[in-house]
Parts: sequence; C-alpha cells; structure tokens
Amino acid sequence: MRRPASEFRPFAPRARRTIVAILLTFALVSALSAALSIWTTGHSRHRATLLEVAARQRTLAERYVAEVELVRNGQQADPGRTAALLASSARALLDGGTAPAVAGDDDETALSAVTDPQARAQLMQEQRLVTDLSKTGRALLAKRSVSSVPLTAHERIAATDPVQRVRVLAALTSNVALNAARTIAQQTDRNITSSIRLQVALGIGGLAVSLLLAWALIATTRRQTSLFRSLVTSSTDLVLVFGRGGCRYVSQSVVSMLGRPEAELHGSGFDRFVHEDDRTALEAARETGKPRELVLRVRNASGQWRHLEAHLTDLRTDRDVHGVVLNARDISERVALEQELTRQAQRDSFGSQLTEALEMADEEEATYDIVERAMVEVSPVSPMELLLSDSSRANLERSAVSVAGAPGCPVQSPFSCVAVRRGSPVVFESSEALNACPKLRDRPSGPCSAVCVPVSFMGRSLGVLHATGPEGEPLDSQQVAQLTTLATQAGARIGTVRAFERTQLQASTDSLTGLVNRRMLERQLRGLLRQGRPFALAVADLDRFKQLNDKHGHEAGDRALRMFAHIARSSLRDEDTVARWGGEEFMFAFPDLDRHQATSVLERVRANLAESMSGDHPVFTASFGVTDSTRGETLDELVRLADIGLYAAKEAGRDRITISETLPDGPGLTVVSEKPPDADDKQRPHRARPAFHEAANEDDPHVSGLEIR
Amino acid sequence: MKRFANSVSRLGFVAAIAAICLSAVGCAPRQSTTRGELVRVTEGDFRIAATRRLAAGDIVIRVKNRGPDAHELIVVKTETGRLPLRGDGLTVDEDAVQHDEVGALEPGSPGSVRELHVRLTPGRYVLLCNMSGHYMGGMHRTLVVR
Repeated sequence: MRRPASEFRPFAPRARRTIVAILLTFALVSALSAALSIWTTGHSRHRATLLEVAARQRTLAERYVAEVELVRNGQQADPGRTAALLASSARALLDGGTAPAVAGDDDETALSAVTDPQARAQLMQEQRLVTDLSKTGRALLAKRSVSSVPLTAHERIAATDPVQRVRVLAALTSNVALNAARTIAQQTDRNITSSIRLQVALGIGGLAVSLLLAWALIATTRRQTSLFRSLVTSSTDLVLVFGRGGCRYVSQSVVSMLGRPEAELHGSGFDRFVHEDDRTALEAARETGKPRELVLRVRNASGQWRHLEAHLTDLRTDRDVHGVVLNARDISERVALEQELTRQAQRDSFGSQLTEALEMADEEEATYDIVERAMVEVSPVSPMELLLSDSSRANLERSAVSVAGAPGCPVQSPFSCVAVRRGSPVVFESSEALNACPKLRDRPSGPCSAVCVPVSFMGRSLGVLHATGPEGEPLDSQQVAQLTTLATQAGARIGTVRAFERTQLQASTDSLTGLVNRRMLERQLRGLLRQGRPFALAVADLDRFKQLNDKHGHEAGDRALRMFAHIARSSLRDEDTVARWGGEEFMFAFPDLDRHQATSVLERVRANLAESMSGDHPVFTASFGVTDSTRGETLDELVRLADIGLYAAKEAGRDRITISETLPDGPGLTVVSEKPPDADDKQRPHRARPAFHEAANEDDPHVSGLEIR
Repeated sequence: MKRFANSVSRLGFVAAIAAICLSAVGCAPRQSTTRGELVRVTEGDFRIAATRRLAAGDIVIRVKNRGPDAHELIVVKTETGRLPLRGDGLTVDEDAVQHDEVGALEPGSPGSVRELHVRLTPGRYVLLCNMSGHYMGGMHRTLVVR
C-alpha cells in the first residue's frame, strides 16, 4: 500500500481505494452479523423442539409404569405402544429423524442429530435405559423373573420387587433424558453466547478496521494536501485566485514579493500594486478568463516595477474554485536583457553606420557634416554642438550644430570644461543643482539638463560634444552611449584628418622659398570663410622679374624670390600666412584684419624690402593688390579682386599697393600706396583700368587665371 | 445356562471394573493437601468407586464424574448403613438425614472434577448420588472412618 519514499505523487487516487475498503468492511461485518443472527435463531428454535421431546420422555416413562400397573391389575392399557414411542423418540433425539406424535400431547416433530459428544453419550445411555425398562416391563407382564433381565446401562438395582425395579428404571430413564436435555440446552446456550460474542467482536473489529481505514484516509488526504501545499509555497511562481469579490488567494511568493501581509492583498488590495496601464487588462482577464497570457507590471516591496508574465486558468465553473487562477513569474531580468540587447543592437548599428560615414570624410568639413547628421540620429529635439579646439589654438570653436540648435556653451578653452578634464562623459540632471557645471547657469533658454562628452584623439583633447535637454530629463543612458560613440569616432576621424593635413602641409611646402604652397593657403582661407572669421587677402608680384632673370641669371632670380619670402614672413604677425602662389607671385592671408590694416602690414614689407636693397644684390621691388572678406562672397571672388588690385598697381607704375574694393562692374579701385618719391616714374593715384588677357603659364601647372604683364 | 452365562459375564464385568477402580485408587499414592488428606472418588453411571477405609480428620474428596450422566455426591454419616427413602421409594429422604449429612456437591456434568472438604470423625459413612433413581440404581458406597 505504501509507496517508496522517492516517489512524489500528489495526484495518486489513493483515497478512492480506502473508501472502497471501508465500504467492503461494513458490508462484510453486516453480512456476518446477519448470518450469525439467522443461525442463532434457527438454533434457538431447534433447541426448544429438542427440549420438548426430551422432556416428553419423562412423561412417557411415567405413563409406561402406570400402564404396566394397569395391565397387571387387569385393566386395559397399551404399555408396548408407549415403550415404542419412548424408543423411537430416543432414537430421533440421538440420530435425528422424526419424533412420533403422542396422542393428546403433540404432533410429529422433525429433529436433527445431536452433535455434542456429551449429549450424545447421555442420549445413548437413555436409549439403553429405555431398552432395559421395556424389557423389564415385558418380563413383568409375562410373569417372568425380572431379575434375570440383563441391564445394559450399568445400573445395579438392588430391589427385588419387580414393580419397584420398573419404577427405578423409569426414574433413571426420565432423569437421564432430562439431564441430556439440560446438556443440550447448556450447549446451545454456550453456542448462542459464543455467537453473541462473535457478533460483538465482529462489530468492534469492523469498527476498528473502519476507523483505521478512515484514519488512513485522513492521513492520505493530509499528506496529499501537504504535498500540494509544499508545491505551492515552495514555488517561486506567483499564484493568485480571483473571484467575484476580487483577489481571494495569494501565494507566499506574492506576499514576500510585495512585502505586504496576505490579508491586505485580498479583495482589491492586490490591484494597488499593479501598474495603472495594466489594471484594465487584468480586470478584463479575471472577468472573462481571457486572454490566457498576460504581462503585468507590479511594484515590489522596494518600489521597483517588476514585469510578470501571467498565465490564466479559467476555473469559474469549477465548483471548488469558482474563480480565475493566475500563475505568474517574474520576467524582469529577461525584459531588461531584451531591452539592453535592443539598445546594444541600435548602438552597434549606429556605431557601424557612423564608422562607414566617417571613413568617407577626407576633410574636417565633411566630418562636421556627418557629426551634425549623427546628432539628429541621437535626438532630433535636443540642442547639441561640437566644440573643437584648433591644433594651433587653445580656444574652442563651434564646429558642428544639430538641427535643434546650439546649446551655446560659453566655454572658451578645452581645459575649462569639466568633461574634458575628467576625460569621461558627464551628465547633469539640472543646471540649478549645486554640483552642476557653472557654465550651464543663466542660459537664455533657462534651466536645463546637460550631457558633456569629451572628444579626444590619441589621448590629446580635441574638444567636447555638448547636448542639453529639459531640466531633470537628461538624455537617457542609450543616448549618452550613442553620444560617446559619436565623440570617440568623430574624435578619431578629426584627429586623423588633421594629422593627414599636417602631413600634407609639410609635403606641400615650397622647396625654394620654404613657404606653404597655394593649395594650403586656399584651404586656410576657405576655413576662415566658413567660420565667418574676417580676414584680409593680398596678392604680390615681383616687378620686372623676367628682366632680372634675363640680366642676372636664374640664380639671381631665385635669390630674389628667397629674399622676398624671408622679408615677408619676418614682417608678418604670427597668425598671418604668406604662400608662394606660383612663379614670382605670392599670396597673403591676414586673419581678423581688414584691407586697410593689411595694407599697413604690407607697407612694412615694402619698407623692409627697400631697406635690404644694398650690396651687390640686384635691386627689385614688388606690387600688391589687397582686399578683404567683406568685399566678396567666395574665395574666387576675393582672389579675383586682389588680382585686379595687383593689375592696377602694375598699371600705375609698379612698386605699390592697391586696394581693390569691388569687381569691375563695381565702383573701382583705390591706390593707397605709390612708389617712393625718389623713383623716376612718379604717378598719382588713379582709377585702374582693368585689361585682361588670358595666359596659361606652362611652367607652373598650379598657376592659372590672370597674368599681369 | 444362558442366564448363568449372563450372570457370570456380568460378574466378570463388574469384577473387572472393580479391579480397575481398585487398582486406580489403590495404586494412587495417598496425597495430602494443605487442607487435609486427599481422597479420590470416581462417579459413573451408576456407581461410586472409592476407598472403603479412611483415617479420621480433614479430608479433601476429589470427585471425578466419568458420566455419561450428571451426578451429585452426598456424604451422610450412618451407623446402620441404611438410609430412609422418600414416599416414591426412589430417592433418599434427605430431610430425614439432614443432621447426619457431612457434606454435599451439587450435580456435576460428565468429565468434571470437583473437591469437597469435610472433617470426618470415626464412624460409618455412605457416599451417594440422590438424583432420581440413581441411589436405587446402585450409586452408593460405604466408607469406614477410624
């Protein structure tokens, strides 16, 4: 009956077997009791008959004696018949059969054989006495000697009176018959007593067995209940049962998760912990039992929102449950992982796209464009800017701005920025917080949140990527991660491009003069234009250089070029640039100066040149055309303007500086410098009359455009 | 002749029974209990077997009924050895010998063994069963106590 301890079978239908055993026990006990009652009743009835017949023997014996005496006295009687009745009754008592009817007393009676050995011995003794009695009686009536009648029952009758002998034999017969009847009665009484005892024992036994089985049933039920309870309570799954009045049961795992006593969660208590967006779905599910699967957000004891994946079982029609069973498990870790994977995938996608885009950028300008587009990817609504320091300057410049505008950080130098100093991204929840960056305060847009990500290349700081958002709602970790990726990759690209440009610069230095070549200067000028930074531009040409070459040889020409380059470079400010434009032409760039201020600088060049014209070196001069960034839109326009000024200077007699204000269809030129007074060819300032002719310089492929003769 | 043979056979039978009884009694060693000397008496249909002589004193009479009928045992002291009968001529008049009755056992079923404690003074006693016809049928025994 008992199963091995290793088996765990909470669903085994053991109780049914026990109930059947109880019913069978009751049936068996009842049947046995009924059988015993029937048997006992039958025995009682038989005993009464037996006693009646046995008791009748005494009457018959006495009647026999009386009839013998009647016959002796000559009266009518039939003792032989009475003797026959006695004998046949004694036989019927002993071995069963029919006891004969006795006229005037009773009818024929069917008897079964007596089985008790003691009663049988007594009845056999009675039979022998009946024989002795009837033989003695017959001898008496036949007037024979009574004493000679053999006695078979071991009686030793001393009386010699024949009648007395018959009477003694009759007395013995009746006494033995009565004693036999008594023995039979006692035996039957014992049987009945045994039967009653047996019935009582059966009843007690049946009751005991039933109680044992009932106890086993209770134990089994308790064990199964205990098994089920252990399954439910040890499970980390959350089990709830909802009925008409709300929650009716919560498992221990729910109690420990929510940190509330069970009673507090019953009724509508559980609903308070469910996210309000999920409550409608939960209510619908417990009203209708559908949907079968549900994801809920529940606030746990520490206030976190946990995601629960719930499975519903509709047991509203189950008479024991009358409700909907909700079985849920906490899938928060899985949800978080999925979200992280999604973010990771987005980041990876963002990062790889960014890498590919940046690979295609071969200039800093193109890199800025990509940064601006990437900013939109990170957030189209947050203002963002890329502040970069030039490699030659310590101050930061706004290089890229998102479509949502520039946050306008007033930081001046890279090392004034906390993110640059720390070398890691910094997030500010609120510009008003005590630990917020001071540069976030008092912005025109009001209080804000901010993210600052340093941009560096090979450990050297390049600048910072700066984004702002509403106060208290900074960009999320995903966006910060994307900005970090952007800063890292943009920094790497910008650093690479700059290094490449520097290499190019070194490679493109003019070998004769040591000046940068035309292309590098063009790049610088374009950069100034893009930044909107004002600058002045001048073009210079050595006067009568061809004649100098022809007269003194190329050696002297090269020396003149080197001398001019040296004088020009030493006369300029640090931030000014002079490049060899081609042949004997040079180009000047003056950041932050206008055309008049540039003219002053060039005057210093002319003066220094004039001063150095001593010794055996052939004398030469230079003419200049000047303009500035306020006079044109594009670099080409400005170069053309400067060229026009140069042409005008040549036309006016060389060795002078001419400011070019507008293109030929504009107001005209202004000559601000003339040749020194000691020169032969003295001219007044005049309006230049431009006369162009196209000439391709076949010696220098870099030079194209206008050549002034 | 036949009658003679019968009587001889009967005598032989009785003698055999008596011999058995005597040997049983005689061979049985006299035993003493804490309450007196033990005397074994065997009853049967319809006779009583017991020793004929006995020393006076406290006596434990152990009665075994061999059956098949039930039998009682009455001990009556009588000098004559004859007991008065009731009017029916079949049983001893117990009322008449009431003062001489030393002890009695109620009828015992076949196979039963019972004990009767008596103090016997010297004299002649009769052991008998007084159930209807039993005394007259031969169930009496004389015992002499010295």
